[in-house]
Amino acid sequence: MRATRWVLGSAALVAVPWIAAAVVPGQQRYVLHVLIFTALYGALALSYDLVVGHVGSLSLAHPAFFGLGAYTLALLATEARWPFAIALPASIALAAVVALAVGVPMFRLTEHSFAMGTLGFAIVTQVVATNWVDFTHGPLCVTGIPKPQVGALRIATLPAFYWMGLGALALVALLYRGLTTFRLGRAFHAVRDNETLAAAASIDPLRYRMLAFVIGGAVAGGIGALYVSYVGVLCPGELTVSLSVNLLVMVFLGGVGSLRGVLVGAAAFTALPEILRMAPTWRMVIYGLLLLVIVIRAPDGLEGLMRRASSRGRRPSASGA
Amino acid sequence: MSDLLEQLVHGLTLGSLYAMVATGLALMFGVVRLINFAHGEFYMLGGYAFWYAYVELGLPYPVAGLAAVAAMAVFGLAYERAVIRTILARTWHVQLIATLATSITLTNLAIIVFGTQPKEVPTRLSAAILDVGGVRMAWQRVLVLVAAIAIFAALEWFVAHARLGKAMRAMSQNREACAVVGVDVQQVALATFGISAGLAAAAAALVSPLFSIFPDVGALLTLKAFAAVIVGGFGYVRGAIAAAFLIGIAESLAAGYLSYAYKDAIAFVVMVAVLLVRPQGLFGRRIGI
Amino acid sequence: MALFETRGLTKRFLGVTAVDAVDLTVEAGELVSLIGPNGSGKTTLFNCVTGYLAPDEGRVTFQGRDVTGVAAHRIARLGIGRTFQLVSVFPRLSALENLLTFLQQHQEESLVGRLVRAPRVRRLEAAAVERARSLLDSVGLGGRAEAPAGTLSYGQRKLLAFAAALMPDPDLLLLDEPAAAVNPTMIEQMKAQIRALHRQGKTVLLVEHNMDVVMDISQRVIVLDHGQKIAEGPPEVVRRDPKVVEAYFGR
Repeated sequence: MRATRWVLGSAALVAVPWIAAAVVPGQQRYVLHVLIFTALYGALALSYDLVVGHVGSLSLAHPAFFGLGAYTLALLATEARWPFAIALPASIALAAVVALAVGVPMFRLTEHSFAMGTLGFAIVTQVVATNWVDFTHGPLCVTGIPKPQVGALRIATLPAFYWMGLGALALVALLYRGLTTFRLGRAFHAVRDNETLAAAASIDPLRYRMLAFVIGGAVAGGIGALYVSYVGVLCPGELTVSLSVNLLVMVFLGGVGSLRGVLVGAAAFTALPEILRMAPTWRMVIYGLLLLVIVIRAPDGLEGLMRRASSRGRRPSASGA
Repeated sequence: MSDLLEQLVHGLTLGSLYAMVATGLALMFGVVRLINFAHGEFYMLGGYAFWYAYVELGLPYPVAGLAAVAAMAVFGLAYERAVIRTILARTWHVQLIATLATSITLTNLAIIVFGTQPKEVPTRLSAAILDVGGVRMAWQRVLVLVAAIAIFAALEWFVAHARLGKAMRAMSQNREACAVVGVDVQQVALATFGISAGLAAAAAALVSPLFSIFPDVGALLTLKAFAAVIVGGFGYVRGAIAAAFLIGIAESLAAGYLSYAYKDAIAFVVMVAVLLVRPQGLFGRRIGI
Repeated sequence: MALFETRGLTKRFLGVTAVDAVDLTVEAGELVSLIGPNGSGKTTLFNCVTGYLAPDEGRVTFQGRDVTGVAAHRIARLGIGRTFQLVSVFPRLSALENLLTFLQQHQEESLVGRLVRAPRVRRLEAAAVERARSLLDSVGLGGRAEAPAGTLSYGQRKLLAFAAALMPDPDLLLLDEPAAAVNPTMIEQMKAQIRALHRQGKTVLLVEHNMDVVMDISQRVIVLDHGQKIAEGPPEVVRRDPKVVEAYFGR
């Protein structure tokens, strides 16, 4: 029964470009564009939730890894003319290596200092990206990033990008599931909830924090690379601190530490403003207030609300039937 | 040589600014153990309040400055009541995210209300140049340094002798004991926020004639002030002041001799360097402000 | 060769010497209590030998190897289990999962194996679940195996922490005030559990304030005062030692 639901659901997701063409013919391109962004942001949010939600490290460095992956692919593809099949793994690898290098000193710090240290790293990365014009083109942006081509397969149309995004999201979701359940999940959660006790249980807190941080950073780098392959242009404005705020909103709005929650949060965050067509400044005001209210009143986010609603719905039938 | 001295003067101005902002941050952390990510917005809003009083209402400089300080002090009290009190008992994750959210909201509201164009607030002192043996500086810079020193001296006196100030110091050292002894913990927290916000506004009134006021100014300022607080040793006001001047001078020298473009990164490079070598801060773990 | 030994162990904080050149030996199979007035350095000593604090001077030896200053998670891996003075559990995990967490690092398998849930790992996990359930039963928490640890009462959490420390079958068990802050029935239960461990041949070193418990179950008692060891011996001998009486009741 569940398997059929899965197959049908997956088939429906894959068929979206045709469904959109049929249901909203004039808007198909726009809908696909929003969905591509939603998929990429969903994957990015999941990679962030690994670090923030499951191992409990409030890192503000994620925009830097996203940006590093983006710039690596952008420059390798435009200047060194590396094919996508090699540039993408290179972007992921670079982000992972930098995460490793940054994580080692950062995790020696206590909570507040860790947040500030990662934020400092993110800011330095942004300043360098903006000012090292010879290398990154600075505010002039890297342009003409070629569409991905792997052998005979060329990803150039919107549906093709949609499937790329969907595929990436599915992969990241699978990885996320594998890392946050069973023994690994237990180890991560032990470090998050009681680091002292985790050590007494022979769990090395540093090892698991680093693992989440490096994997999260590597995935962020990969998403960055896919993102610029789709958009075709990369400017330093992509890796500002606001991205951290956006990710925090997505994760906390949706439900920190929950796969479904984070995806819902990412979808709401990406799709909603498109639907509402808000001006960017008003959008940020709403997000700021929203984040404030959520983090204080509903730290479990939408996922928590959904769970409470469904358990309340079930109870009467259990006693009634 | 005069070039170097001018850079140093500029560094002292920056240092005074960062020190005044960092002091507020250190006070808040010291007294209520809370990181206020929206602190830079106290400066930004104080700057706009000053601009409004000085440029729009045409009040004389000192009056406009004091009006800005008073306005922000009230804002600080309101902010403590509305936001801080709700998050004081929560984990530091919640506090960080909540104050970060407030910062984003305030910054974007400022863009909506005031627009993105920076506001210039030139005063007579920012235009008048003082020449000391070939070293040229605006008189305003002298005012900034003198006023900053006066403010720090007043703060020292306040914490050592005034009843409220002593209560603040006591709370920063041992909060539970204070509650037991009958100190009104909430009142002290309220006052701390009022003072911190007022300090930020004073900094804005002093420094914005030299730089300008724009909605994003708070973000970088918060982070650099944080860098100073971390380098000085969390919650230790004197350490934060010293670190702030260190960062200000380093930034000015780097801008002059290394690269103007990367000057904003200097504060964080210093911070990360100190955190790696001496995570407890330059002056070690102190208890109390 | 003693199972566990400290030589000249010293720890200082801001000018105060919390642990002062303490020599301590525990032989395999012994049940030793470490007592002393408040602030005598007992928990600091525990934290120094279990890797939570780095000693300033001295040496800690376990099963013949030098473990001075070794990180906490590695000390645990070597076979030293402990409980904490303020009872410590993983509140969001169930009682069962709490215990499983303590065993998983001791069952050797690769990271990738865990990620893909290789059959070998599944078998290890099943064995772990079995052991966890029997341990929970032995401390009387069998019925609450699925309950989140955060919902258990203080006494139940203490028993849970005790069971969790036993999960990896440690060669040395350090208990920090097992009888503190619980009702008399629970104290009797704790005493019975510790006695049972001793009968099974386990080595136990406990810190305890409750003199009845100490006198009742210990083979040997070590007394600390102001960080220094001032007496050592069988319980009846130590309780009459004038130095010990003076330490507890002042001059």
